[in-house]
Amino acid sequence: MTASETTETATREEPDRPVVELDNVEIVYDRHFLAVQGISMAVDEGDIVALLGPNGAGKSTVLKMISGIGRTERGEVTRGSVVYDGEDVTNDGANEMVDRGVTHILEGRRVFEDLTVEENLRCGLYRGGRRVRFDEDDYRIAFEYFPQLEEILDLKAGYASGGQQQMLVVARALIHRPRLLLLDEPSLGLAPKLVRDIFETLVEINREENITMMIADQNAKRTLETADYGYVMENGQVELHDPADVLVDREEIKEFYLGTSGDSSQYTDIRHYKIRKRWT
Amino acid sequence: MVSAAESATLFQIAVEGVGLGALYALVAMGFALIYKVTGVLNFAQGQIALVGAYLIVLLGTGEAIDWLQVSAPVAVAAAVVVGIVLGILLERVVFRPFIGEPVLSVIIVTLALGGIFSGFVNFLFGQNFKGYPDALVLDWSVGLPLGASIPGSYAIAVLLSLVIVAALMLFFRYTVTGSILRAAASDEQAAMVLGVSIERTIAVAWALSITITTVGGMLLAMSSGGASVSIEDTGIIILAAVVFGGLDSIPGAFVGAIVVGLLRELGSYYFEGGTAIVAPVVDVQLNFGPGFGNILPLILLLVVIVVKPYGLFGTERIERL
Ligand SMILES: Nc1ncnc2c1ncn2[C@@H]1O[C@H](COP(=O)(O)OP(=O)(O)OP(=O)(O)O)[C@@H](O)[C@H]1O
Ligand SMILES: [Mg+2]
Repeated sequence: MTASETTETATREEPDRPVVELDNVEIVYDRHFLAVQGISMAVDEGDIVALLGPNGAGKSTVLKMISGIGRTERGEVTRGSVVYDGEDVTNDGANEMVDRGVTHILEGRRVFEDLTVEENLRCGLYRGGRRVRFDEDDYRIAFEYFPQLEEILDLKAGYASGGQQQMLVVARALIHRPRLLLLDEPSLGLAPKLVRDIFETLVEINREENITMMIADQNAKRTLETADYGYVMENGQVELHDPADVLVDREEIKEFYLGTSGDSSQYTDIRHYKIRKRWT
Repeated sequence: MVSAAESATLFQIAVEGVGLGALYALVAMGFALIYKVTGVLNFAQGQIALVGAYLIVLLGTGEAIDWLQVSAPVAVAAAVVVGIVLGILLERVVFRPFIGEPVLSVIIVTLALGGIFSGFVNFLFGQNFKGYPDALVLDWSVGLPLGASIPGSYAIAVLLSLVIVAALMLFFRYTVTGSILRAAASDEQAAMVLGVSIERTIAVAWALSITITTVGGMLLAMSSGGASVSIEDTGIIILAAVVFGGLDSIPGAFVGAIVVGLLRELGSYYFEGGTAIVAPVVDVQLNFGPGFGNILPLILLLVVIVVKPYGLFGTERIERL
């Protein structure tokens, strides 16, 4: 708890210091599976940063080590550093990062299925084991961007549609009022119209609430249209990075749009945490 | 046809079965609660009940350490507090390092823990029956229709386990902590990135579970006037109940425990040599020799595992943690 207080008071002067900065980071799972090798990234305040690349490139791994949840999968930053808001947060746990205002929307739309929509939202009101706020106002930010949710508050989240579940996980994260929001595959398995809606809403949230975002997604085109800056990863390394509008016009990227995504099966095999099917 | 006397006997036996089942229910719910929230299969439940039973001997009779002796009500209250503390301590010291470890290693840890507890109780109190303080030996019983009656300790067990099953259901359904516990149980990582402290929820679950289980152990002892090493066997018997009820369902554990209690009492009365008369309805003499009532629940266990592996109320899922 003290950590969050110090960050909030001590920093914030220099305006263009990145919110997160990865310096030559190497990430290893289970002590010897090298998933990410020596990547550097910087995410500026207020930006939306796209993380692109084929299956198994290491996009999720990067997000998981920023939010700290990677620690529960035996992930470890073995070289380099992760700096958040000027503070070294390398290998810090999920609870600490949540305290600092980092919220991670995990891959696979992980709603709590046997909880109602409202109970799901309510879980967003906790921080470091303490309830932060709890009044109508807390939900307003959720309903403002996802008014549909208000109509299904008592529905079991498991019975909600794929689109509603996606809204729910974003809304649940918003209730946290994060400073940095990490989104892993928000568009996966959604119909094109819903994909467009979700990305539009994300941009709106980014502008209105001043929430910095990192989005890992297979839908490179849509994500780059949304983003300010983009990184393209492959085999655990950053292959390209540029402002999003520059990146869109690069030849390599055009190739990537056409779906030359590499071998996809190896990744799902290793995964031992329960993850819902990737198609709906 | 079954005569009036026979059906009165059947009713009396059934009442005792429900009473016994209610005692098992406390231990069984302790098991289901931990499995539901943390995914740990705690095979030390019987030994924790044993510790609960002997805590009263320790505190209420001055046996083993005489300066510890306090009055019976204080002993009960103190034993409950010890239960809470023991739950938190077990989580902190024993189970926390195993979060995320394979299911099998956690199971082995619970087995070892059970061995340590029963060894410790043996060391302090020996193998002999230890009577409870007079204030806790209930000589009253409650009259019921058909000339039946239910002994005081069973009556308390029935009431208490009903209260606890209702309270736990309301707690999980309607309180914020309850939703958080369910959220953490259904997706630990997703809960963690929302700021839920997994350690804290797990500690709450252990404290609740161990408390309920120690109280169950105390009442089991009360129902026979004192503590004996056989209370340890409850750990195996309740497995039948929780498997029947579906492992992670608290109401399921309750119902399963009542069924097991009924099976034991009816089985011992009607099927065992000596007491066996004529089984009602079937009207034949069955004589299986003593102890048959004890194995009926375990036969049930095997049948349920084969026929309905997720029990009556359980969530169908693969093991986690
Ligand atoms: N929990 C884990 N334990 C061990 N290895 C893992 C784990 N999670 C991911 N990996 C491995 O790390 C590498 C990077 O995986 P990661 O999930 O970060 O890729 P990704 O870019 O997110 O892919 P996708 O597009 O399929 O989501 C892969 O080789 C994967 O097999
Ligand atoms: Mg991924």
